[in-house]
Amino acid sequence: MEPDVSVETGCMIRIAVLPVGAIPQAHLRDYASMLVRHRHVDLSSISSFYTEHQKSPFANQPWDSGTLRFKFMVGGSPLSPWEDFQSHRKILAVIGICHCPSSPDLQLVEEEFANACKGYSSALVKRCFAFCPADSQVEETEALMVLNVAVKLEFSVFLQLEDCDVQIDMEKRMFKWYPRMIVLQGQLGSAIMLPLHFDGSECYPVTLWAKPLLAMLWLAFVLVGDIHYFLFPLEDGGRRGDNLILFPPADHQTQQFHLQTMMQDIAASLLMEFEKWVLRAESSGTILKTPLDSQTSLSSEEVIKAKKRRLGRAQKTIGDYCLLAGSPVDANAHYSTALELARLTGDFFWYAGALEGSVCALLIDRMGQKDPVLEDEVRYRYNSVIVHYRKSFMQDNAQRWKVSTLSFELEATLKLVRFLCREHAKEVVELLMTAADGAKSLIDASDRLILFVEIARLFGTLGYQRKAAFFARQVAQLYMQQDDSLAAISAMQVLAMTTKAYRLQSRATLTKSLASSDEISDGGKLNPQSVVTLFESQWSTLQMVVLREILLSSVRAGDPLAAWSAAARLLRSYYPLITPAGQSGLASALTNAADRLPSGTRSADPALPFIRLHSFPVHSSQVDIVKRNPGREEWWLGSAPSGPFIYTPFSKGDPADSNKQELIWIVGEPVQVVVELVNPCGFDLTVDSIYLSVHSGNFDPFPMRVSLAPNSAKVIKLSGMPTSMGPVTIPGCTVHCFGVITEHLFKEVDNLLLGAAQGLVLSDPFRCCGGDGGVILFEGEIRDVLISLTNAGSVPVEQAHISLSGKNQDSVISVVYETLKSALPLKPGAEVAIPVTIKAWQLSTADLDSAGGKNTTSMGRLSKDGSSPMLLIHYAGTTVSAAQPLLVVPHVGAVASIMYICFVSSFRSLGPWAQSGATDVNSSPVPPGRRLVVPLHVCVLQGLSFVKARLLSMEIPAHVSETLPCLDKKSSNLISGAKPDSLVKIDPYRGSWGLRLLELELSNPTDVVFDIRVSVQLENKMKEDQSTFVVDASDFGYPETRIDRDYSARVLIPLEHFKLPILDGSFFIKDSKSDANQGSSRSSSFSEKNTKAELNASIKNLISRIKVKWQSGRSSSGELNIKDAILSALQTSAMDILLPDPLTFGFKLAKSSIPPADIVDLPKEANILAVPPGSKGSILAHEMTPFEVFVRNNTKEMIKMKLSITCRDVAGENCIDGSKATVIWAGVLSGISMEVPPLQEIKHAFSLYFLVPGEYTLVAAAVIDDANDILRARAKTNSPDEPIFCRGPPFHVKVIGTA
Amino acid sequence: MASTGCFIIVSKNDIPIYEAEVGSAAKKEEAAHQHQFILHAALDIVQDLAWTTSAMFLKAVDRFNDLVVSVYVTAGHTRLMLLHDSRNEDGIKSFFQEVHELYVKILLNPLYLPGSRITSSHFDTKVRALARKYL
Repeated sequence: MEPDVSVETGCMIRIAVLPVGAIPQAHLRDYASMLVRHRHVDLSSISSFYTEHQKSPFANQPWDSGTLRFKFMVGGSPLSPWEDFQSHRKILAVIGICHCPSSPDLQLVEEEFANACKGYSSALVKRCFAFCPADSQVEETEALMVLNVAVKLEFSVFLQLEDCDVQIDMEKRMFKWYPRMIVLQGQLGSAIMLPLHFDGSECYPVTLWAKPLLAMLWLAFVLVGDIHYFLFPLEDGGRRGDNLILFPPADHQTQQFHLQTMMQDIAASLLMEFEKWVLRAESSGTILKTPLDSQTSLSSEEVIKAKKRRLGRAQKTIGDYCLLAGSPVDANAHYSTALELARLTGDFFWYAGALEGSVCALLIDRMGQKDPVLEDEVRYRYNSVIVHYRKSFMQDNAQRWKVSTLSFELEATLKLVRFLCREHAKEVVELLMTAADGAKSLIDASDRLILFVEIARLFGTLGYQRKAAFFARQVAQLYMQQDDSLAAISAMQVLAMTTKAYRLQSRATLTKSLASSDEISDGGKLNPQSVVTLFESQWSTLQMVVLREILLSSVRAGDPLAAWSAAARLLRSYYPLITPAGQSGLASALTNAADRLPSGTRSADPALPFIRLHSFPVHSSQVDIVKRNPGREEWWLGSAPSGPFIYTPFSKGDPADSNKQELIWIVGEPVQVVVELVNPCGFDLTVDSIYLSVHSGNFDPFPMRVSLAPNSAKVIKLSGMPTSMGPVTIPGCTVHCFGVITEHLFKEVDNLLLGAAQGLVLSDPFRCCGGDGGVILFEGEIRDVLISLTNAGSVPVEQAHISLSGKNQDSVISVVYETLKSALPLKPGAEVAIPVTIKAWQLSTADLDSAGGKNTTSMGRLSKDGSSPMLLIHYAGTTVSAAQPLLVVPHVGAVASIMYICFVSSFRSLGPWAQSGATDVNSSPVPPGRRLVVPLHVCVLQGLSFVKARLLSMEIPAHVSETLPCLDKKSSNLISGAKPDSLVKIDPYRGSWGLRLLELELSNPTDVVFDIRVSVQLENKMKEDQSTFVVDASDFGYPETRIDRDYSARVLIPLEHFKLPILDGSFFIKDSKSDANQGSSRSSSFSEKNTKAELNASIKNLISRIKVKWQSGRSSSGELNIKDAILSALQTSAMDILLPDPLTFGFKLAKSSIPPADIVDLPKEANILAVPPGSKGSILAHEMTPFEVFVRNNTKEMIKMKLSITCRDVAGENCIDGSKATVIWAGVLSGISMEVPPLQEIKHAFSLYFLVPGEYTLVAAAVIDDANDILRARAKTNSPDEPIFCRGPPFHVKVIGTA
Repeated sequence: MASTGCFIIVSKNDIPIYEAEVGSAAKKEEAAHQHQFILHAALDIVQDLAWTTSAMFLKAVDRFNDLVVSVYVTAGHTRLMLLHDSRNEDGIKSFFQEVHELYVKILLNPLYLPGSRITSSHFDTKVRALARKYL
């Protein structure tokens, strides 16, 4: 099969164009492109070269309108076995192309050309064009040209010459000659007239000498009288044959002209050769064979048939030649005969061939006509052609001789498609699909290749880009199977053509118009093209496959730049879909490609990192001149130019519109732009250099080097200096990474982010890589920051003061002013780093909305700058020269927890102020100071969020034990200064009655892990010294709670130690603090109002002691602000938590222990009768067991009451009273009247005798007589008559023994 | 049931909004790519063909090797495309009609942005069940 076939192919004369000698590729391409322009040579233009030797067989040749068509096969082409069948497959001429500078020896060239021609036996005309001959070569070819003039006429010689000296001499001087030295200069076609007169009585050779020899020297004989031109070349009469033609060095246009003339000459020669061939074939016949003809001998009948067949085939071939000669009418006549004969002999293959030729003849004859009848005719005949080719397909042939007519059938299909392509899409698609189906049956792989190429091209003609791309990719795959670099180059080029359909175009191939239309869009509005590009990743599977194939083919083809670009696009657009190993593979592909590229190579397609504009430095207007009041030490106070209005109507009203920030930079002052870089891939990325790319030419960017860890982001400051007045446009950054220089445009990343917000592109690299540039803090995060101030001016700064203003001022916890003070005076160039502690503020709901919502453009984060606190730095020098420009560049360094806060600022030159300042100074002894306003760029992210809080209670009864060891233990602990072992360690013997736990539910919506630590500031009161013992519960070894991302967790805070030791009115006094001396603030009167206020104060105090701290990663830590939440959770039950019961009860085994003397030292939880873990003394059944019950009065009044003790078994039955009592007792158990003095304890002894072993519960209860108001309030009762009933917690008694 | 099949829904912006490999053949990644390439290429033909008929079911519009592309175009110019190797046209038509029903239900969801990717697992399950039923 052959590429690029059409109906008209049948009339094209095939010419092999061969490079002769060594020719640089570029030159060959150049010469070949000049040549292929002469595809059509009009018959009218060749008449002067044409000589009719015999009567032409092409009787109906249209000399005035006809054309000879050429098809140039650059590089030659293999001989086709089918060239007898279709004469247009023959190579009918050979043109050699020689580049003289690289082939000095013309003799060799000629030999080489002759050798090359041997391969083309069918070639009728051979020429070798030698371009750009050197002078030496020309000298050498200075030759005698012999012109035989045998016409007896008076004529003139018309010379068409190049701009060169021509010396014409006449040998023998046979005719009258006016020798003249002619110097011709100027243009092509400048002519000289040499009037030559000779009588023509004899034939004289006329010899012309020309120097240098010009192949393009023509003699035109203008026959006087008969106005008729004929032009013919001066033939080279030297040793050289007429094959080598030298083209003088000349401009392109001249060479074109020479070439055209030569092509006309070749056309004429071919025409004459065709005539000869046809005449010979008509007279003597010819043998025509195709690979289809089998070798079998023929029977006699078949011989007759064969004779007729041969005749038919000859007629068909003559028709072919007629077509080639540009004479469709003649061709048609021969084809008609051939068709007749082929049909008679059943020679379907040749029938189809002749039919094809006749269609071609028809089309050539009616060239340029648009006629539906003609179209139908062509379609009808071609369908017949296809059918006949199919008929001639023989399975036998296909298998035995590996010859098949399928390719002819497919070619015919493609020819028809190409013809119909213009209008009949549906039919074309149908035909092409049929043709594509034929691919499987094609034997030759290269046939399949050609078929797919043609199908792709035809779909492309139809406008079916995706179809074309599909088949182009098939072609590329076939090329890739060939496994050599030339095929790989072809594959690469073919794939490059598919990129448009798959929306993968390299930026290099995008048109300029697109780029200019990009310029128009601004203000975040996308132009349609950008929107389209956002959809690109939707066919990501296809796109990745194609890019990978481009990468593979370009690596094989040895095109490192194409490989780099493909790998870069793959990595940049599809990194979320590529495994880390694949990403690293691409990175090394980039590096490998860059190794083969010269350094400094630029690529249009950026790779990594992603870069976006973060923020701009502060305005110059933020450095103000402040008039100093010499009388005031602190001159900066009240110096802010606020005016009478709190809000000035002229200040920027809309902080959200930060896209339109007005920036003024001053020539010669370094400025900085903050950008954020992201490496979303799994390998370390080193950016060799990055700097702002400025096209306006008035800015000097300073490059810097950055390295990015895997999946990380960095905020860096890029600096530069404006060099001249005018607008500065910074479209992006120039990046030298992976060995290639690329430009990264901010706008592209903005579009990407916009797309990510709409879910159109795969992912947002900036979202998946949380930056470590410490601008980003979680809510409540506390960080230490260093702000360094540099005196960039020329005089020392004598005074400086930092103050805060703006929103969220309280987020700056501390500024170490002393550091600044001690560093003064700050000499020029000196630097001081001031530690500042920042606690990130809470986000408001509006902030949260915008963070989670659409506000994702790069400016989105910046718009929150309005909420950043401002640092106001007032500073001044002492001398007059202080009015000269001072440059103080605050920037942020690092402290132990490294943080780069992203605020950039620099002082501006005073400019005209400097002058006025100086004059002011003369009148006033105090030079003005200056004020610098620097926003502290802090971006607060939503951190841990609080879901809800609730109070839980836990009740575990204590076991009665023999001793009261807790007293000793507590006191020893307290004495030794050790801390309690735990906040909530439940000892089963101690129990935990009425223990309240505050449960906080927290959720982690971020993508980092948080560790939560709860700390409660404890106070332990000891009566002896009334001192407060504060313990930080976080030191208790209380475990951290880890909350993974997107999870929530509950944190329990025990509220055990908050019970106050004494219940009295003091809690209800307004200003009392719980850590103050309780005893001194004694008050006996209180009111309802006081109760509330006091309670609130106590609750606040309680809450303030609960701290929930979090830590995330190594450097982030902070505190959760949940005061309000706890308050609401505690509101209802705060009394229960804070206030002790008026009476507390406790049981103890009195068997062997001596009651301790300092009973009053019982801790506030008096029911703690814990035993050490070792002495879990149990009670034996059938044994009298003495018990003691303790009753403690927690109030400051005497309490009279009646105490009762009950004992219950596991079933809850009273086992002391009743008929089924299982416990016998000694002593009083009920109605014990006792009076407990304030803050004292009374014990009451009794004994129990357990008959049945098992679990028992002892409960003490009391009815208080004559309760006072405090008790009533505590019991929440208002009625004075109601008895107040106090019940102690249950105590477990375990009785062992046999029943 | 067809041994190979790939079902895809292409929005009117020529974006695939739903993809499913249906069929019993072993799923090779390479084959899946090829399926997508064929379907992508067939869009060109659908684009022209859709305007030549009032029927939604366009039958087999394209083929490559043994694989046939059948297409159903909704009124909103969303294209349901099926790549298959069987010739069960009635089954395919029923399949398309039922998937269209499902797609309309998706469209009725006020939270679904027309033209965006269909992520409903319920839809996916239903489509696969339909594929087993009809193809």
